Amino acid sequence: MSKVVGIDLGTTNSLVAYVKDGVPLVIRDRSGDGLVPSVVSAAEDGTIYVGREAQRRLLTDAARTVYSVKRFMGRGLDDVRGEASLLPFRVGGDAGGVVRIGLGAREFTPPEISAFILRDLKHRAEAFFAEQGEIDNEVDRAVITVPAYFNDAQRTATRDAGRIAGLDVMRIINEPTAASLAYGLDKRHSGLIAVYDLGGGTFDISILRVEDGVFQVLSTGGDTHLGGDDIDLLLMHKVLAEVGWSQTAEKVQEIRKAVIAAKWDLSERQETAINGARYTRADFETLIRPIVDRTLEPCRQALKDAGLEPSQIDEVVLVGGSTRIPLVRRLVGELFGRTPHSELNPDEVVALGAAVQADILSTGNREMLLLDVTPLSLGIETMGGVMSKIIMRNSTIPATGSEMFTTAADHQTAVDIHVLQGERELVADNRSLARFRLRGIPPMPAGLARVQVQFQIDANGILSVTAHELRTDIEQTIEVKPSYGLTDDEVERMLLDSFEHAEADFAARLLIEERNEAESVIQATEKTMRAPEFAEIAKKDLARGELPRIEAALAELKAVIGRDDRDVIHDKTHALNEATHHLAEVAMNRSVQAALSGRNVNEI
Amino acid sequence: MTSNSTASPLQVCRDCGGGAPVDAHFCPQCTKILTISRHGDYFRFFGLPRKLNIGANDLDQRFRGLSRQFHPDFFVNATPAERRASLERSSYLNDAYRTLKQPITRAEYLLQIEGAMSGGPDRGAGAPGVNDAASKQAVPPALLEEVFALNEELDEIRGLRASGTPADQLKTRLDTARGPVEAKRASHEAGLEELFGKWDALVEAGAPDAERRPVLESLRERVLERNYINNLLAGIEREMSAPGGRGPGSENV
Repeated sequence: MSKVVGIDLGTTNSLVAYVKDGVPLVIRDRSGDGLVPSVVSAAEDGTIYVGREAQRRLLTDAARTVYSVKRFMGRGLDDVRGEASLLPFRVGGDAGGVVRIGLGAREFTPPEISAFILRDLKHRAEAFFAEQGEIDNEVDRAVITVPAYFNDAQRTATRDAGRIAGLDVMRIINEPTAASLAYGLDKRHSGLIAVYDLGGGTFDISILRVEDGVFQVLSTGGDTHLGGDDIDLLLMHKVLAEVGWSQTAEKVQEIRKAVIAAKWDLSERQETAINGARYTRADFETLIRPIVDRTLEPCRQALKDAGLEPSQIDEVVLVGGSTRIPLVRRLVGELFGRTPHSELNPDEVVALGAAVQADILSTGNREMLLLDVTPLSLGIETMGGVMSKIIMRNSTIPATGSEMFTTAADHQTAVDIHVLQGERELVADNRSLARFRLRGIPPMPAGLARVQVQFQIDANGILSVTAHELRTDIEQTIEVKPSYGLTDDEVERMLLDSFEHAEADFAARLLIEERNEAESVIQATEKTMRAPEFAEIAKKDLARGELPRIEAALAELKAVIGRDDRDVIHDKTHALNEATHHLAEVAMNRSVQAALSGRNVNEI
Repeated sequence: MTSNSTASPLQVCRDCGGGAPVDAHFCPQCTKILTISRHGDYFRFFGLPRKLNIGANDLDQRFRGLSRQFHPDFFVNATPAERRASLERSSYLNDAYRTLKQPITRAEYLLQIEGAMSGGPDRGAGAPGVNDAASKQAVPPALLEEVFALNEELDEIRGLRASGTPADQLKTRLDTARGPVEAKRASHEAGLEELFGKWDALVEAGAPDAERRPVLESLRERVLERNYINNLLAGIEREMSAPGGRGPGSENV
């Protein structure tokens, strides 16, 4: 059986986890690191780097390196103009269309960049399963998490990224809900839970009721552009105001790295240094207070939507790296009147929950069930530029809604429909999801046609639309033009592209080949050393010091074989080959002689 | 007359072609999940009688139980037809739960399936999505007095705001203006409760249609009045949060 995994595709870091014997585990590299920085870098020769290596390249080749791409998922150029100023990479695209990110000579859409990260996680998991001795180590299905407050376009973009990376995305689930699932595992009780999730770029609050193993989301709220990145930006602005604003992209990244380190420091200590000067936790808290305050209003609204008072919440769970900040803990604690939980690593809990959900989906295990809601109301444009709501926010998904349309003119055969998501009265203040043209309405006098348009939000929170003319019972064809998304054809083409110029794939394959080579040298050496005649060879044929040399080279290669550094593995493999060259010769000669003499004996 | 008939109509299992009661979720013959039938209603779906008083815990428990039976999570590896049926059935369950959970939407739904909601399904020809008919309806006679007084008060408050009266003073005026409307709402809630009890007694007794109609008719009036009151209150709410009405800090000069 191929493997299924849960993936937390984060703004700052991404993780992959799986379930082993009912327990979710994060997949780590040899050094125990489970976090893959969500950074992608395109080198001049076309090589794509992901993770730590890409992060290092931010300091040397910033213009070809992209981070926080999640902020651009499912958004148009007009949405992101304001925030692109301090980013080292080029942000472009057609007005009103999908954002395109320029890295050197090449341009990528945000789902393509995210796909590089997903593919890296996929390979990481596959290498891990291979190492575990799994016969079929292919990872082709995954549950991927998104912020609860992601709209339809952002969810669709995430699913597209999965497809481009060659993954069957079994389900898109909400990060806070996933976290509650991970927390719920060892606490088999019922109650009301608030999950406060402040990550690198997004903020979510979800209120859940847990009963009989059913995790039912009652309400959700958030801000998809609020997180640790904003805190970093404030600190960067502070430093840049001191050192001057005209800096190279690399220098800006150096400053960014330094202020992030200072931010982390201040979660542990009362003071640190920024730009050579003393900086206290109190200074920091004054600076970021407005950001933390912005998270509290959605919390109050979510409570109100769930019909609850803060005191009714039984448990508060903290998720996301930014919840390590003491001010965040303090204010959240004050709001709910109780100390928040943080037993599980806030960086890992979402991926663990995603793995649990992946396990449920692949095994059909019915012990637990997630019932999530749609974070935003869905509606259509009506006359006067007003939005008419069809599915209200906080409706449990899957959900349906329908609306009756008719014609305004005699013999009219098509009607244009504009689908929106959001809470505001006016169309212009809400998110445009798509424009549909209902075609094929049979010609009849105005107002007589009755076209029922059915909106379906599936368990991923993603919308689909069907239409039916009731008088003639004709199913309508609907042309979907996503306002800020990719068409199916585009996704298909990107998937093909990713196979054609799959640098990341290529690099991974080279690494795996290098490892295989190393493995076979190790095995050959060990086999020789296990042989019964080895003791005699070592005594008679090997020079003094030769055996310790072989043993050292063997140990060195074994130590690096799990590393992701192809060159190191190559060098150590070469060294072991050299060290065993003479031994191999001797062993070969002996077996040849034995064979010859054996044959001679037989032949005689 | 037939609205509460106990003889369940049949639906046909698309998988094996066998017949199943309309309120069954799985085919009794082949055990496959059934596609949603056009003939059922939300009460039947939950296995509940068509009564207006439903225990919140009972409904929650049924909801969780049914979710466990046909949520799409459990049909990932099923055939496309079963997956579609699971999606449809789960969506219907969620819509049904949302509707029956709140007493007022439950009452509206009952009126609709009993054919007692006037207006019918046709909404505003020519214009898509004209569904705010309730807010544009004529003032219910029972509310004329309150509505008249409230509108006068709101006009005055708007005038005061235009002439620069401080926001906190306006808020006090608005709060006072809400008073009578809130009181009306409270008395309506009590009236609704009484009608709920009456209806349930009729259902239990298997009363004939002729006895049920008048109860449904009063229920309809009460529901419309209540919606009207809620719209009024929402109007006041909007007035309070209108630009300039929030506080000195947000004043645009």
